[in-house]
Amino acid sequence: MESDNLRGAAGGRPGGTAAAMPADRLSMRTKRLLWVWGFLAIPVLFYTVIRFYPTFQAFYLSMTNWDLVRPAKFVGFANYVKLFKDPQFWKVFRNTFTYLIIGTPLSLLIAFTVAFFLDRVRFMHNFIRALYFLPYLTTAAAMAWVWRWFYQPPPIGVINDVLALIGIPQQPFIRSTDQALFSIMVTAIWAGLGFQVIIFMAGLRAIPTTFYEAARIDGLGEWAILRKITLPLLKPTTVFLVVFSSIAFLRIFDQVYNMTTNDPGGPLGSTKPLVLMIYQTAFGSYAMGYAAAQTVVLFTILLIVSLLQLWILREKK
Amino acid sequence: MSTIELTKLIKRYGKVEAVKGIDLAIADGEFVVFVGPSGCGKSTTLRMIAGLEEISGGTLRIGDEVVNEREPKQRNIAMVFQNYAIYPHMTVRQNIGFGLYTSKLDKAEKNRRIEEAGRILGLEALLDRRPAALSGGQRQRAAIGRAMVRNPSAFLFDEPLSNLDAQLRSQMRIEIKRLHQRLKTTTVYVTHDQVEAMTMADRIVVMRDGHILQVGTPTELYESPVDMFTARFIGSPSMNLLPGSKCSIMASTATEGDILIGVRPHDLIARATATDEKTDLSLTGTVTAVEPLGPETLVHLDIDGTAIIATAKDKFVPAVGSTLTCTAARGSLYLFDAKTEKLLSRS
Repeated sequence: MESDNLRGAAGGRPGGTAAAMPADRLSMRTKRLLWVWGFLAIPVLFYTVIRFYPTFQAFYLSMTNWDLVRPAKFVGFANYVKLFKDPQFWKVFRNTFTYLIIGTPLSLLIAFTVAFFLDRVRFMHNFIRALYFLPYLTTAAAMAWVWRWFYQPPPIGVINDVLALIGIPQQPFIRSTDQALFSIMVTAIWAGLGFQVIIFMAGLRAIPTTFYEAARIDGLGEWAILRKITLPLLKPTTVFLVVFSSIAFLRIFDQVYNMTTNDPGGPLGSTKPLVLMIYQTAFGSYAMGYAAAQTVVLFTILLIVSLLQLWILREKK
Repeated sequence: MSTIELTKLIKRYGKVEAVKGIDLAIADGEFVVFVGPSGCGKSTTLRMIAGLEEISGGTLRIGDEVVNEREPKQRNIAMVFQNYAIYPHMTVRQNIGFGLYTSKLDKAEKNRRIEEAGRILGLEALLDRRPAALSGGQRQRAAIGRAMVRNPSAFLFDEPLSNLDAQLRSQMRIEIKRLHQRLKTTTVYVTHDQVEAMTMADRIVVMRDGHILQVGTPTELYESPVDMFTARFIGSPSMNLLPGSKCSIMASTATEGDILIGVRPHDLIARATATDEKTDLSLTGTVTAVEPLGPETLVHLDIDGTAIIATAKDKFVPAVGSTLTCTAARGSLYLFDAKTEKLLSRS
């Protein structure tokens, strides 16, 4: 196999040693194409079986009443009609968008601020950067349990202890229907921060220093340089992170599930995102058709939000 | 417009001294070129003048004021960088106008200045384009435009032509020179290219290892270099250097110790036929390569292991491998002390 590959690769170039091979009758272009597609075949096949087929299958399933046991029966748009009439869906929908609309800008703002200043810190730079990145390497389950402990009432919960110290009454955090979603969002933002900081810093490093020097000579202050040079030149990085982090917040699941294990998505469904609802519908109620319909809705939302962001943030010619 | 005065200017990075106390007075309206090999401190000196590098010692005066502690913007200078530093997300108009960002001019006056700079630099038709749609030369002109609109007291150029191809470089050289003749703004220009230095400068400052070796007009440096480094750095091709022992010098120069003899390729003439002209130096060697340039031919010779370049005139192109004698006329020789590398005398 290996020797085959070597021979073929050499044969694909002028002066190759494949003279006796029948492939020699093919033009160089055809040979290259054969090789390219030969290598591409494996991932293409893999994705077709593992990704694309189930995706299309989900579209079909969403039109059935499959429950894992009885054969699926086609029910048309009944699942969708049910979904849009389901008050729980709208609550979950609102939760998901709260994660998205508050979580994404907030996390990017924090990440940029950290990256902007960390970029100027020379003292223990790598160590600090590693500290920020560490949560990204930690499993959601471990993180969630640590944060659950943080959010406990005093004297166990660290945050409430600190609040008490400065004279603020104790807060219920994940036990309250008002605060639980934001408490979980904080954890999720913290978890993703390291990655965003690294990407922002790479973007900042890519801006030539002469741009800043030229601006200083032209008399711009720090704020003007940030607004007129840094942010516009950082736009490709920002677009990437906006789309990336939006998708992450729209698909939020593990943070919520692990922080509310006694009553996933609770209290009273106040933290439940769409993916958790899908999970419960599919593997709690075994309503696969209904769950598939929710998946299709999530897919559509992801698609629309991503395309919308790419369109809004596109490079204007 | 103003004078620039450097007194014992020093730049240290930790323990390393990059600029070792240089003195220089630049007159109002003068075009001064800093030239030297990379790492000689020329760019660091320029950046100290600009205010981008802190000054470790000595004083810097722009006009009558000491500006050591002034921010770049307070020095009223403009700088053009090697990589242009024009912003890809702005049009040429916005880029040029960026130089006026902090000025208190009204919009009409700003526009008038931008248009004027565009006209002078031949960028009128390109004002609304993005830098991505411009050639290297046009980008550099936009950068010069941004420097111009402010009417700065001095222009600083940091190897502005290094990223351009040879043809554009010679064209931009003339354009910058013309611009200077027109605006008469004090200009400090850093380059490692001696051709740029020779063609553009009112005065050249030759730097090496953080020191100034020599300051003078291009002709002065070419005619009377103080040492071997300047002699070889200025002029193209470089001056030939020969150990004194290898030459049959007829001049009666009494010298102590080892000397090196320098002669410029253009003064070392290879002829097809012998001449009875009075010469000070006569060298015979094997031709290793020839470079016909049209009116003349550069002849590379091997003289007992020393490679030298001579000039063959009158369309004479010697054959490679042939033995050839070349001569230098009286008065075209430079004698250097081999140890100190200083010029001893000329003959």
